[in-house]
Amino acid sequence: MRILAAVAAAIVFSSSAYAHDVPDDVVMQAFLQPGGGRVSLLVRVPLTAMRDVDIPSRAGGFVDLARVEPTLRHAATVWLLQGINLLQDGRVLPTGTLAGVRLSLPSDRAFESFETARAQLTGPPLDPAMQVMWEQGTLDALIEYPLEHSGGRIAWRADVRRLGQRVTTVLRLVTADGAVRAFEWHGDPGVVQLDPHWHQAALSFLRAGVSHVFSGPDHLLFLLCIAIPLRRVRTLVLVVTSFTIAHATTLVASAYGVAPSGGWFPPLVETLIAASIVWMALENIFDSVAGRDIEAAGGRAVARRWAATTVFGLIHGFGFSFALRDQLQFAGTHLLTSLLAFNVGVEIAQLVVIVGAAAAVTLAFRRLASPRVAAIVVSAIAAHTGWDWLLERGAVWWRFPWPAPSPAALVAVGIWLALAAVAAAGAWGIRRLLDGAARPERGPRAVSGKPA
Amino acid sequence: MNRNAITAVAFLVMFAGLGAAYLYLSRDVAAAARSAAQAPAFEVDPLWPKPLPNHWVLGSTIGVSVDESDHVWIIHRSSATLGNNEKGLELKPPTGECCAGAPPVLEFDQAGNLLNHWGGPGQGYEWPSSNHGITVDYKGNVWIGGNGEGDAQLLKFTKSGKFLLQVGRANARAVPADKEGVSKFGGNSNDTTSFGRVAKIFVDPKENEAFISDGYLNKRVVVLDADTGAFKRYWGAYGNKPDDTNLGPYNPDAPPAPQFRNPVHCAELSVDRLLYVCDRVNDRIQVFTPAGKFLKEAFIAKKSLGEGSVWDIAFSKDPQQTYIFLADGRNMKIRILKRDTLEELTNFGDGGRQPGQFYAPHSLAVDSKGNLYTTETYEGKRVQRFVYKGLRPVSTKDQGVVWPR
Repeated sequence: MRILAAVAAAIVFSSSAYAHDVPDDVVMQAFLQPGGGRVSLLVRVPLTAMRDVDIPSRAGGFVDLARVEPTLRHAATVWLLQGINLLQDGRVLPTGTLAGVRLSLPSDRAFESFETARAQLTGPPLDPAMQVMWEQGTLDALIEYPLEHSGGRIAWRADVRRLGQRVTTVLRLVTADGAVRAFEWHGDPGVVQLDPHWHQAALSFLRAGVSHVFSGPDHLLFLLCIAIPLRRVRTLVLVVTSFTIAHATTLVASAYGVAPSGGWFPPLVETLIAASIVWMALENIFDSVAGRDIEAAGGRAVARRWAATTVFGLIHGFGFSFALRDQLQFAGTHLLTSLLAFNVGVEIAQLVVIVGAAAAVTLAFRRLASPRVAAIVVSAIAAHTGWDWLLERGAVWWRFPWPAPSPAALVAVGIWLALAAVAAAGAWGIRRLLDGAARPERGPRAVSGKPA
Repeated sequence: MNRNAITAVAFLVMFAGLGAAYLYLSRDVAAAARSAAQAPAFEVDPLWPKPLPNHWVLGSTIGVSVDESDHVWIIHRSSATLGNNEKGLELKPPTGECCAGAPPVLEFDQAGNLLNHWGGPGQGYEWPSSNHGITVDYKGNVWIGGNGEGDAQLLKFTKSGKFLLQVGRANARAVPADKEGVSKFGGNSNDTTSFGRVAKIFVDPKENEAFISDGYLNKRVVVLDADTGAFKRYWGAYGNKPDDTNLGPYNPDAPPAPQFRNPVHCAELSVDRLLYVCDRVNDRIQVFTPAGKFLKEAFIAKKSLGEGSVWDIAFSKDPQQTYIFLADGRNMKIRILKRDTLEELTNFGDGGRQPGQFYAPHSLAVDSKGNLYTTETYEGKRVQRFVYKGLRPVSTKDQGVVWPR
């Protein structure tokens, strides 16, 4: 009888390995605080992300909280400690040591700040009598990494993708002055510089600027439309630089939170970007049909194109800001530097594209019997594509009503008018400078291209 | 003066003009912000949730709760509240290619994806004949009540639907059949083993106590041990010993009723440990200590007859829980009250079936970002999300439909 009872008890109260499915969505919360010769890492992960772990249970299937700590230590070692590496000034720190571990309830809010999370991990565990189902608990761990020297810049390298189908890391760095810098990313982004040097941030955002131009078909099409009638390097540089100053203005302003927050705004900007392509393409067509060479005409014709690219640059800057929104967390304390670097990247890519496009257009048109017809055909294709985008994006935007007029809305409009005026003044100033530099000797065409 | 100088002067004049206008308007904005009361502002999210799979449709949707991961849990009455024209796939033989009632318990993520579904009769427990109310507690357990004819029990499950606890027995409120042999049910608000058609459950993490809104047949608030289900205390309106006497129809001009009317529809504990109870048909909120001592009451849309105006409440997500959101299923709107005074600041919504409108808004819940979720019963049959847009000065009491701007 005793043997039977013992077997029954062993079955009911035994530890069991929970070989469950890989969870779809896992959020890993973490705090990182360098100081005192070490980096303290506080991590919270749902227990469902820990597979093949023997969770001791008691009657009713509840976690046996009195016996669970060794299991949690094992889970933290296998699933966290072995996957998370920290770097100091580019050198990988030695493997961390597990300084604390506990099980918490899903509603626990201790991870709202570093102090409360640390107090939770160094405080008493849950009451062993509490009824908790293991799949509704979280594993909290305190891991400490020895620093090689005080100061230095910490980077994060962790492959935690095995925790779930889609793993989101929410990391907060607590700096020496107590400031908290928040990061959030999905999957494995590689090495994340948590406190980058200005040149690291600048380089990273410069690359982002270059790649954004090449990955955005609407910006490329817009640049092509600019290039079709312009073949003088000076005019091209003038127009593209005006465009860059304009988009830099709205991009920087957006990053500092000046952009409208309404849901109507992003689709409006996307619609206007499509409209900018249609506008430039139609202008090219009308000029070609009328046999007007705007570079030969000079003066007003060039000014009109310059003004149009400046206005459209303001709009494209908002578009860039939407793309950059998730990246700004990696700027560290160098937000302005990073934004400027992004703009420089965009400018470099634009110049490459536009010079390449101008050369290609010139070359192609030279071989054709009628370059004017070719300009019309290429512009018509661009206009058609832009028109499709315009209708598609406009339909999305049209679902949102305009915000109600109010003094606050008028103030916002006023701020944007002022920013537009700043961009226009800047672009106008550059034009004056370039005109002044070019006046002594009117430059010959870099590439000749007579209209038919 | 040459052209360049004229242009430069024009820019300067423009900057000066814009600066002056900014200063003038900013003063107006600041003055307006100072003078007006503020209230949370919302906009309906017409694209949430995403369409359900398997040709599933919702029945009367009578409960919503948000868990610690901001997943949204709803409970609905599925096929029991669907007409044959809505559930052709379920009929034998099927009458068409659509539709079928979805499982009663559904879990959505913030993107509106359906993550999990379960519910219905099973081994070891008595599933309510008309489920009512859903609450995900601080341990991640899911509580369900029921207001069907014989429902006198409540149930607790894990998030994955594993049964944990039943308190009370179905049909415990049955009374002897009448002369025609028709079985009947009667309230017993002093029973300490079963309930009388439970509307909703709230679990207090501090004391591990469950507060039961009991209910559609009984007229009381009950407090249980949330682990064992043991009865700890209960009370009626004003903290009185509950009494099941039929009070007749609600009369807004009569003195306030000394007992709750059916249903007692919610009981929610705030961060400062005040218990707010929805006395639905009496159009009032009563406030108690957790021990059941009456503190105060407030009437909401007091002229509302029929089902009453106080259906469900949820607290705002600021640390002080400054505001109460109140579902008024009689008048088809969500009211926003100041919690300390119970004064109504503003309301939004209107009757109708388009996004942002309501047909009997029944239940409310708020996520960690302050977004509000509503479910609609009767033929409303849906869950909606209202995106929190921050605090804004109150410019009108009746906002109407809060469409996205």
